[in-house]
Amino acid sequence: MAKRSGERARCVTGIEGFDTVLYGGIPRSNTVLLTGSCGTGKTSLALEFLIHGATKGENSLFVSVTENSDKMLANIIPYNFFTDDLVESGKLVFVDLPVMYERLGMTKAELSMEEIDLLVTAIASLARELGTKRLVIDSITSVCYKLKTSEKIRDFVLKLSKALTDIDCTSILVSEVAAQSDSYSMFGVEEAISDGIVLMANMERRGDLLRTLQVIKMRGTMHSRAKYVLDLTPEGVLLVPLLKGGSTRA
Amino acid sequence: MSDKRVAQQVADELIDVPPSSAISLQMSVDHYLDVLRGVLDLFASRKEADVIYVTSTISFEAIKRVMEALDIDTSRVYFVDCISHIMMGASSGQTDEHTTLVESPTMLENVMLKVEYLIRLSEAKDKIVVIDSINSLAIHNNNWILSEFLHILVSGLRVRDVYTIILSVEEHSTPEINNMVNLVCDQGIRTGQKED
Ligand SMILES: Nc1ncnc2c1ncn2[C@@H]1O[C@H](COP(=O)(O)OP(=O)(O)OP(=O)(O)O)[C@@H](O)[C@H]1O
Ligand SMILES: [Mg+2]
Repeated sequence: MAKRSGERARCVTGIEGFDTVLYGGIPRSNTVLLTGSCGTGKTSLALEFLIHGATKGENSLFVSVTENSDKMLANIIPYNFFTDDLVESGKLVFVDLPVMYERLGMTKAELSMEEIDLLVTAIASLARELGTKRLVIDSITSVCYKLKTSEKIRDFVLKLSKALTDIDCTSILVSEVAAQSDSYSMFGVEEAISDGIVLMANMERRGDLLRTLQVIKMRGTMHSRAKYVLDLTPEGVLLVPLLKGGSTRA
Repeated sequence: MSDKRVAQQVADELIDVPPSSAISLQMSVDHYLDVLRGVLDLFASRKEADVIYVTSTISFEAIKRVMEALDIDTSRVYFVDCISHIMMGASSGQTDEHTTLVESPTMLENVMLKVEYLIRLSEAKDKIVVIDSINSLAIHNNNWILSEFLHILVSGLRVRDVYTIILSVEEHSTPEINNMVNLVCDQGIRTGQKED
């Protein structure tokens, strides 16, 4: 089939099964919410996305909010394809947001509207300086806790997403939700304004607990809406379709 | 039919099978060990293939002991064991880099994921996946899901030029299970007699 003109260029994540689900990758410069309850593999998937990017020569930036990046790296699954020279060469950069808050003098528990602008500008200029093509913020939920109102959250996510799109950067914003939540984000605002939503979850089937991944929306491309079962391995995230046969007989 | 001849028959019928083939291998209970010897001698020893051995019948430790007793070299055999976990206590739970445990034979997706992982790690030119056995998987899964599993597994392996061998035990099989296996396999072998 001929490519329709106007079809968006792709950021090929390098996570094979995930690219297949997305019909080729994330449309470039999309801001994607990667959402799920704790321990579902969000950080692992987001980091793998950056490592593949850096390996291909795309500058990648990991903004760590929840825990400091050294600690995160020590606890994450050791990927076979991760090499220290990705970091040494500056292709893969880790930044701790709390350090950034401090430098910007943002010491209060709640950020003001002006401070939001300042924070967005700081992240965007860093990304611009570094020539970042792939960015992860882990997690956006932790930033939102400092914003408190949905108005501020909306403002922050919209401005950030706009700034990153302007520099043609494809971004994954990690979002934390409670296990039984039927919303895709903690504050309900983040999901409405992101270009894509990828949901990671634990699914119980007759007593077995399976890790699943599902693309709920992705602007700019067709995608599978089916659930996939995933495994976090040193070779990266592997995906297979969730088998449906069992659901006919409990 | 003598033991040696069964192993020989299996090896003879498999030797010219091209990679990416899926083969159904049905045997009677008392031919089990001979079939095992025939398959592993051919693929692991002669063809120097990596063997990914999915066991849902007995624990990897038990099957490894059997192989060693038969003087089969297990250095190229990688086990995906989906039975040890649910038979708590039946195995020491000690695994090595040659063994991956799946929590339960009902987690068929995880079986596929572990197989995929081992295939990625393998540097051997030829790779083969052995399912031992479809009958024991059928104890834990309904035919619908099992059939879907076989279909996705085998088509995935085919495109990667990996052989699949699905073992079934005549005495434990049913016409439904045989149909399900025949649907995904290019060739059927029955020990003791020839099948087209
Ligand atoms: N070395 C490892 N080998 C295999 N699995 C691992 C390893 N390290 C971590 N894991 C698995 O990864 C899971 C955590 O993954 P990850 O940190 O990516 O999840 P997360 O969704 O970011 O969690 P959180 O909500 O805590 O941030 C753990 O539950 C564990 O099962
Ligand atoms: Mg995390």
